[in-house]
Amino acid sequence: MRPTLLIVDDHPGFRSLARKLLEAGGFAVVGEAANGHAAVATARQLRPDVVLLDIQLPDIDGFEVTARLADGEAGPVVVLTSTRDRVDYGERVERSGARGFIPKAELSGAALRAFLGDDQVR
Amino acid sequence: MNPRLRLALALATLVAGLANVALLLRAGDDREESLVYLVITIVGVGWSFVGAGLVAWSRRPENRTGALMVAVGLAQLLNGLLFNGVILVRERFAFALWFLLATLPEGVLGHLIAIFPDGRATTRLQRVFIIANYAATVPLALVQLLLVEPGRLGCTDCPNDIFGLGGRDRYGDVVLAVSDLSLAVLTALLLWIVVMRWRHAAEPRRRSLAPVALVGIVLLIVYMTGQTLKAVLPDPPLALEVGFNLAILIALVLWPLAFLAGLARTRLDRSAVGDLAVQLGEALPPGRLEQVLARALHDPTLQLAYWLPDRDAFVDAAGRPVELPAAGGDRAVTILRHDGDPVAAMLHDAALDEDPALVRAVAATARMTIENERLQAEVRAQLEEVRASRARIVEFGDAERRRVERNLHDGAQQRLVSISLALGIARSQVGATSEQEMAVALDDAAAELRLALVELRELARGIHPVILSEAGLGPALVSLAERSPIPVTVTAVPPERLPSRVEETAYYVASEALANAAKHAHATAVSISARRLEGELLVEVGDDGVGGADPDGSGLRGLADRVAALDGQLRVYSPDGKGTRITAELPCGS
Repeated sequence: MRPTLLIVDDHPGFRSLARKLLEAGGFAVVGEAANGHAAVATARQLRPDVVLLDIQLPDIDGFEVTARLADGEAGPVVVLTSTRDRVDYGERVERSGARGFIPKAELSGAALRAFLGDDQVR
Repeated sequence: MNPRLRLALALATLVAGLANVALLLRAGDDREESLVYLVITIVGVGWSFVGAGLVAWSRRPENRTGALMVAVGLAQLLNGLLFNGVILVRERFAFALWFLLATLPEGVLGHLIAIFPDGRATTRLQRVFIIANYAATVPLALVQLLLVEPGRLGCTDCPNDIFGLGGRDRYGDVVLAVSDLSLAVLTALLLWIVVMRWRHAAEPRRRSLAPVALVGIVLLIVYMTGQTLKAVLPDPPLALEVGFNLAILIALVLWPLAFLAGLARTRLDRSAVGDLAVQLGEALPPGRLEQVLARALHDPTLQLAYWLPDRDAFVDAAGRPVELPAAGGDRAVTILRHDGDPVAAMLHDAALDEDPALVRAVAATARMTIENERLQAEVRAQLEEVRASRARIVEFGDAERRRVERNLHDGAQQRLVSISLALGIARSQVGATSEQEMAVALDDAAAELRLALVELRELARGIHPVILSEAGLGPALVSLAERSPIPVTVTAVPPERLPSRVEETAYYVASEALANAAKHAHATAVSISARRLEGELLVEVGDDGVGGADPDGSGLRGLADRVAALDGQLRVYSPDGKGTRITAELPCGS
């Protein structure tokens, strides 16, 4: 079964491109969210396997969303993404509890899948 | 003071005093007190007050203290004449007349103490006291005459009802009790006024209050001790009573001299000017002048402020702005001028205004030093301004870099990410879709790439317009006008190239003003001109917008700093509703 995915980003252009790319890359995109609060609510409702989460959001940032998602039982795998590079955020990515980080320009189905252990691929 | 008036008052005083002595001699054994005692009480005190008062009046005609002292003395002499008259004629109406005016000297004395040394009431409490105190003289005496049995007022020979009105001592007890109470309240009030004045007084005022307060305190102590002894000893020895009375009399006669001395002490020590000249002969470390002047004028609160013509403001020795106090308060200002232009201001206790000549003399002596300190203060103020603008320039640079990073991130970087994703999608479709679909995907990517390039160019131009360095200010302004969202007319540009710093600053003045016109002023038309005048470039930008631009807002402040860095001057005229006009004068050598 294809892993289910929620895409969180405030740019609709990015969401639609990422949906096309990742669906071609073997994911089932079950939802999109344009800000942090919507991301938390949608994730709780849809229970996706993976959340692709932009760090810069108009309300709460991706680190805060990651922390809130980790509060729930059996939270989704969170993978952070950004136009900026990982080094721009220092240790915040490691400390956030997210499974990993992919720069937007390097996003692909394979890159995202690399962060999922075998157990996650149902 | 009019010399004729002075002579008339002096003569009247002399005559009244002699008449008193004559009447006292005539009355002979009819009086109860000794002749010497009465002569001192009436004539000594009267002459002393009038004499000292006339001196004070002539020296300080604007200060009411002298006139009031004269009034105290005259009231006392008049009182004596009436008192002697009563003894001689033993007539009820004579008694009534004397009784009515008997407390007038105390009333005027209270007034005098309440307003010393200013010569006028300065607080509401003082005004209330003065009115109440006069009400306790003639008006209160009239009430007493009408309602109290004359025997209880001191007229043993008078009939029970002086005026034959029929009402006989019906309210005597009440009236006398109220009178005593009001006297006690008034005395307490006066003491309070004097204590408060002392507490709030700066050094110069205390110097003038001190002699009066000293004699007043001696009087009070002697009087209270005497009263206490009288109450404690059932039959006090005559010598004791005479001793106390004499002490009180001497103090009373000396008191006017204390007033005079107090007034004289507000005219300060002239030798201070000489000492000052010597001290100024030695080099003073910066900031010390204020202390030296404070000492010369006996006013530790004295503050010096220097005039900065550039800033239209007074600053202290460290270059910080100083507010001048409003007129009429405890603080006064003496402005020192040179050829009519202000050089400095001395902020001092208002008491020093009593002797403006001395303050001016001190200021004139210190003029050279003050001018030096003013120049130093000016330099310090400029340094302070440079420091502040340097900090703002650094801050502005940081903010600029943050803006560039954000623009890159939001613009070109997003576009490039999209291209990368679009190419990723195309790559995943290789072999799976038609060539036509592949071509569409690649076209999309190419279109994104063109947009990214446009945005990068815009951004680069915002960082530094290439046309400015390549072609010069004129073409750069024309290009700026062409790219503007609101119509811009460029009315004049310099034909020749100018130093790059001048061209850049002129360009930023125009572009910032233009951005403001579009963003904040909602202007519909803007005109820009840049003209070479003698040795400088004058840049003017005017719009027809809403006006009300804030020259201290970060944008205009940054411009002003930029212009100031070239020793230029930025001016903003932006009345509400009348459009905005920004001019920059930029020196450009030659």
